[in-house]
Amino acid sequence: MVAHLLRLRFRLLANGLMRNPWTLVSVVLGAGFGFMALVGVVAGMAALSFAEPRVAWTVAVLAGAVTVLGWVVLPIVLRGMDQSLSVSKLRGFPIPPQRLLVALLVVGMLGIPGIVTLVGALSTTLSWFGSPIALLAAPIAAVLGVVTCVAASRAFESVGAALAAGRRYREVMGVIVFIPVILAGPIIIFAGSSLAALAEELPTIARVISWTPLGAVWSIPGDLALGRPLEALAKFAIALATIGVLALLWWRSLARLLVSPPTASASHARSKGLGMFAIFPGTPTGAVAARAAVYWLRDPRYGGSLVVLPLIAVIAVFLAVTESTWMLAVLGPFVAATLAITLCAEVSYDGTAFAAHLATGVSGAADRAGRVITLAIISVPAVALATILPLLYLDSADAIPATLGIGFGLLFTGFGVSSIASARFLMPVPAAGESPFKTPAGSTVGAQLRMLATWAIVFALALPEVVLGVVAITTGNTLLGVITLVLGILLGCALMVVGIRLGGALLERRGPELLAALHRARGA
Amino acid sequence: MTDLAPESTAEPGVPTPPPAAPSGPPALHIEGLRKSFGAKRAVDGLGLTVPTGSFYGLVGPNGAGKTTTLSMATGLLRPDAGTITVLGTDVWREPVKVKSLVGVLSDGVELFDRLTGEQLVTYHGLLHGMDRATVVQRTADLLELLDLQGTGGTLVVDYSAGMTKKIALACALVHAPRLLVLDEPFESVDPVSAANIRDILEQFVRGGGTVIVSSHSMDLVQRMCDHVAVIGAGRVLAAGTTEEVRAGSSLEDRFVELVGGRRHSEGPAWLHTS
Repeated sequence: MVAHLLRLRFRLLANGLMRNPWTLVSVVLGAGFGFMALVGVVAGMAALSFAEPRVAWTVAVLAGAVTVLGWVVLPIVLRGMDQSLSVSKLRGFPIPPQRLLVALLVVGMLGIPGIVTLVGALSTTLSWFGSPIALLAAPIAAVLGVVTCVAASRAFESVGAALAAGRRYREVMGVIVFIPVILAGPIIIFAGSSLAALAEELPTIARVISWTPLGAVWSIPGDLALGRPLEALAKFAIALATIGVLALLWWRSLARLLVSPPTASASHARSKGLGMFAIFPGTPTGAVAARAAVYWLRDPRYGGSLVVLPLIAVIAVFLAVTESTWMLAVLGPFVAATLAITLCAEVSYDGTAFAAHLATGVSGAADRAGRVITLAIISVPAVALATILPLLYLDSADAIPATLGIGFGLLFTGFGVSSIASARFLMPVPAAGESPFKTPAGSTVGAQLRMLATWAIVFALALPEVVLGVVAITTGNTLLGVITLVLGILLGCALMVVGIRLGGALLERRGPELLAALHRARGA
Repeated sequence: MTDLAPESTAEPGVPTPPPAAPSGPPALHIEGLRKSFGAKRAVDGLGLTVPTGSFYGLVGPNGAGKTTTLSMATGLLRPDAGTITVLGTDVWREPVKVKSLVGVLSDGVELFDRLTGEQLVTYHGLLHGMDRATVVQRTADLLELLDLQGTGGTLVVDYSAGMTKKIALACALVHAPRLLVLDEPFESVDPVSAANIRDILEQFVRGGGTVIVSSHSMDLVQRMCDHVAVIGAGRVLAAGTTEEVRAGSSLEDRFVELVGGRRHSEGPAWLHTS
């Protein structure tokens, strides 16, 4: 049975690779990089055998704990990463849960991430050439460590699935879990300044972590080498208990999943009224705007595209604290430029549901305008806040009109340009219901280039107000700043209207081709 | 699949449907329709006339070109060649006029499923340019008609497959079209709902509307439709009133005879357990 599932696993992997030669090429390239990284890890571990055991122990505990954490968090973030052997697919076969548990454990360990982790973990053995007992204990601890990783990953996954099969839960989790990941970069940079001080503290941190389920197993060889056999024994007990608890958790949720498939909570909700459709005007344009508003609230892919905004803000604040305030001063235009082209992906987000627009024969201009209206409701206040607040904080309120002019100019011009762009080409996006951060099938350099080209056009068209605004800010001329604001709004709106008209006409002409492309994108 | 005569529109023996009541142009008229996907010819010179006021069934094996044909007839897919008119108006010359006359239920397209059922039907109505009061009234009527009034507040993504079909049908009906084009409307719909939908469609036809359904269920088509066309390999193999097409035998037998590919075997011996 175990061998069966393992063979199935590799067959699925091979078939997936063979579907498309380019996938194979990219996987081979990725495997090459991964292999080199692994060689680096192994070499580093071997090098640690020349360092003092305390350092090797610290590295092993901290790296090991991060690895376990990664095994737990990554599957939640990259939901749907590898569902080829999910419980729901195996439910139909007569397999007792215990056997399935063992089989999935082995399959998990012998998948690509499992093998990489296993090799990395086993390489810690190389650090202990100085201590024979540790050298003996290290491989055992390594295997136990990898078992902990896989068991923890699977246990949390299936407990999560059993507890909250709700779509809403998954969607919210998908976004929330990603926020610390995105902020991790700036946080590390922030911490970087005090990293020297932190390095002193690392052994202490490792000491604490080594007593937790995350680090206990990785600590055993080091404790032996450092002459703490009793601690090693205690941590061995913690490690075994961890695996035991995880296995029990996993087994129980597995047994439950096997007999009762997680069903979407079939809430027979009474009508809650029309919601957004009652607020927006009852015209085709209003309907598209209302629908977009509902999607901004309910579809995590829309909100997920805005996660970069806090990131930009954090980087700006960070730069302001450490080096210079220039980015904080132009935060508004930055946010505007980012928001302006989010519209490019809208038709791609629709997927083949776009057929509704085509079948009803709604005018292209109404389609374009509706999407613009909703984005404007979100982004105009965002740009205004991102402009006014930092400038007030920086005590340069006289730059507000000019900066606002640049920001609104870029934003409105961007609405117009991306209204045409999204009728012209599709962006590869994750399908509805997939993780908003999943790399979609068919992400190509071409799509990135088209996005950049769209951006370049936006900046070129908004050049008048940008130049005028820069002049106004550098000379400190407030009147010029006010003129920039007026010019930015007027010119931007004019270009927006032109973009909506042209984009609408293009959409009407190319609608069927666009739908065919959407079908292909989903079929891929 | 390719051993048919190259001339397809005027094959001998294909019964031509009787001219519709001379009240006007046919509900749907297709001539010389062609569409290829790469090297594969999905629709290969198809011709079809659907008289106004008929309940027209479209049957054919998987991959025969039913969905492709219906997509082209409703303005969702651009044909390579051929003309399609709906009630005398060319679909690809005056798409907006045609789309106001036609209600579409497509197979294999997503819906805006993050809307509630009620919102989705409303959305379709408003996209057709109807005023909100009418849309709200009709949405309520349709949800009641299709037994969905209790679930109007549920997101469509949480609907079952059958409920999704029903809400898609409501979306196709909301603007009171004169021609309904339904691709696989009964797939995964429970028998009670299917019977209800049939009643609605029959009423729609009695009221002067025209319905085209594609289906794999021969029994259903034979009982429900007054006209039928059998499609295979991208062309019409037989078309006419249901009586004419089935020519004395059952529609299923006639279908198998026309399409071919039936195998007579009893399966491996180990399957016979007794």
